[in-house]
Amino acid sequence: MNTDARSTTTDNAAAPPPSGTRKALRDIRDGIVVMWWGFFDWLAVVSWMKLLLVSLLLMVLVGGVFQRPTPVFLFIFVSLIIKIVAGGKRRADLTASEATKRAETEQLERTVLEARMEALQAQIEPHFLFNTLASIDQLIQTDPPRASRMQQSLIRYLRSAMPQLRDGSRPTLGQQVELSRAFLEIMAVRMEERLQPVVSVPEGLKSAVFPSMMLQTLVENAIKHGLEPKPDGGRLEIGAEVVDGQLAVHVTDTGTGFMPKSEGGVGLANIRERLRALYNDRAELIISVPPAGGTCATINVPYEIAPSST
Amino acid sequence: MPPPPAPTAVIADDERLMRDQIRNSLKEAWPELTIVGEAGNGHDAIALVQSEEPDIIFLDINMPGIDGIQAARALAGKVHVVFVTAHDQYAISAFEHGAVDYLLKPADAARVALTCQRLRERLKQAPDPMNDLLAQLSQRLGGDGSKPREYLRWVQASVGANIRMIPTSDILFFRAEDKYTRVQTERFEALIRKPIKELLDELDPKEFWQIHRATVVRVDAVEQVSRNLRGNQVVHVKGRDDKLEVSRSFNHLFKQM
Repeated sequence: MNTDARSTTTDNAAAPPPSGTRKALRDIRDGIVVMWWGFFDWLAVVSWMKLLLVSLLLMVLVGGVFQRPTPVFLFIFVSLIIKIVAGGKRRADLTASEATKRAETEQLERTVLEARMEALQAQIEPHFLFNTLASIDQLIQTDPPRASRMQQSLIRYLRSAMPQLRDGSRPTLGQQVELSRAFLEIMAVRMEERLQPVVSVPEGLKSAVFPSMMLQTLVENAIKHGLEPKPDGGRLEIGAEVVDGQLAVHVTDTGTGFMPKSEGGVGLANIRERLRALYNDRAELIISVPPAGGTCATINVPYEIAPSST
Repeated sequence: MPPPPAPTAVIADDERLMRDQIRNSLKEAWPELTIVGEAGNGHDAIALVQSEEPDIIFLDINMPGIDGIQAARALAGKVHVVFVTAHDQYAISAFEHGAVDYLLKPADAARVALTCQRLRERLKQAPDPMNDLLAQLSQRLGGDGSKPREYLRWVQASVGANIRMIPTSDILFFRAEDKYTRVQTERFEALIRKPIKELLDELDPKEFWQIHRATVVRVDAVEQVSRNLRGNQVVHVKGRDDKLEVSRSFNHLFKQM
């Protein structure tokens, strides 16, 4: 019984050896492959100076101390050949894959950032919405046709302002101008003679690519900070032109002018950030003071025609 | 015994449609109330109350120039105030504990009737000075009061023939040049007439450091600080080749660097 038990144990221990050895062999082979590629990568990126130093060290240690110069020379010779023949390509591959990975991460980060900020900018101010609804409510009783026109403007504004209602195509200047035009029609009814809107965007530029909600933010700013605080109100003009391949979109108002100590609003900072995410340094937002006073905000982006959607 | 005089009110709102609406709904809810005037901004509202001496004012909060809160403060104790607003969550929660009433635009008939009911009761007493409420409101709506000191966020400077507003976050450094101060950004330079000493008073000391009699640098734009051959500290600015010398009296700024 005792022997039986012992024999079973030995059997059990003896049975796995073939597979164990195979496994060990495979491990060793894998190890060698990994080491080889590690050595290969090291060889590819190491500087010639360092390689020379290592070779010298090997020559002194193995060749000098152990009196075995031939394998050392062979090793150095093979290393040099590998480095010359394959090193450049391997090194290029390594840098390229690293750069691609970095570029992909950066691109992804940018896209996420831009999407988040676009959503932020597309938020409709509840104050605007409730005031407009209150105005429509009043007009229904006193001037129904006008109430209907105002409601149509509100619908057009909401349709184009809501991000989830837009299709995937890139927004055009034409769409952005129509959105702001609807907004200005509403504000002109509410503010009456205190707001004189002028939209003078050449027909030919309406198919140009222009980021969403930026023009609208400038228009809202001009009213909120420029014209509304001024008891007499004033003019607001939207204009666009192409200069040296750059599309310049202006919003000019004759309002109270810019307050140097004002925070400048989240809106403007948001536009700057988004322009950077979308165009890097090929776009900018400029705030200037026209000679007659008021404020002029300009967005410059590369001029690009949107592919027609038909 | 003669009947008590008919109560009077004024309406202040910057939008005519909204004034019409309040006027119409009041006509329904309280026919005896006489509207003695309308105002389109806070300034006119104050003048109107002073000349007409009404019992009640319906006051919009968002108005150009002097806003509704400021107007109410100027008129505190002289008139019963009903605030009118389209959407101010903070304001609404404040009113709920306050001494005066409020109306939300567009005001429905039942709510206006309730306000009128309250006002009839309230008219028997003197107008409330609303001290606590106004303090609370102006604080919640970010009005004036004890605000922390404000620094320049934008610098008005000339670039060629144009005048631009440059956000301070774009500025790398200021440098005194003759009568002018040069403003340097990554993309361009601009000039302002203000001497650097005056400018320093208006800049946020956490954002901008003076490193020399003639130089003020934005802290975040400093790339590194090295020493030149004479042993003086030199500031290198991000994205540009300018090297700005630090005078000895400002050396302590970069001690830990």
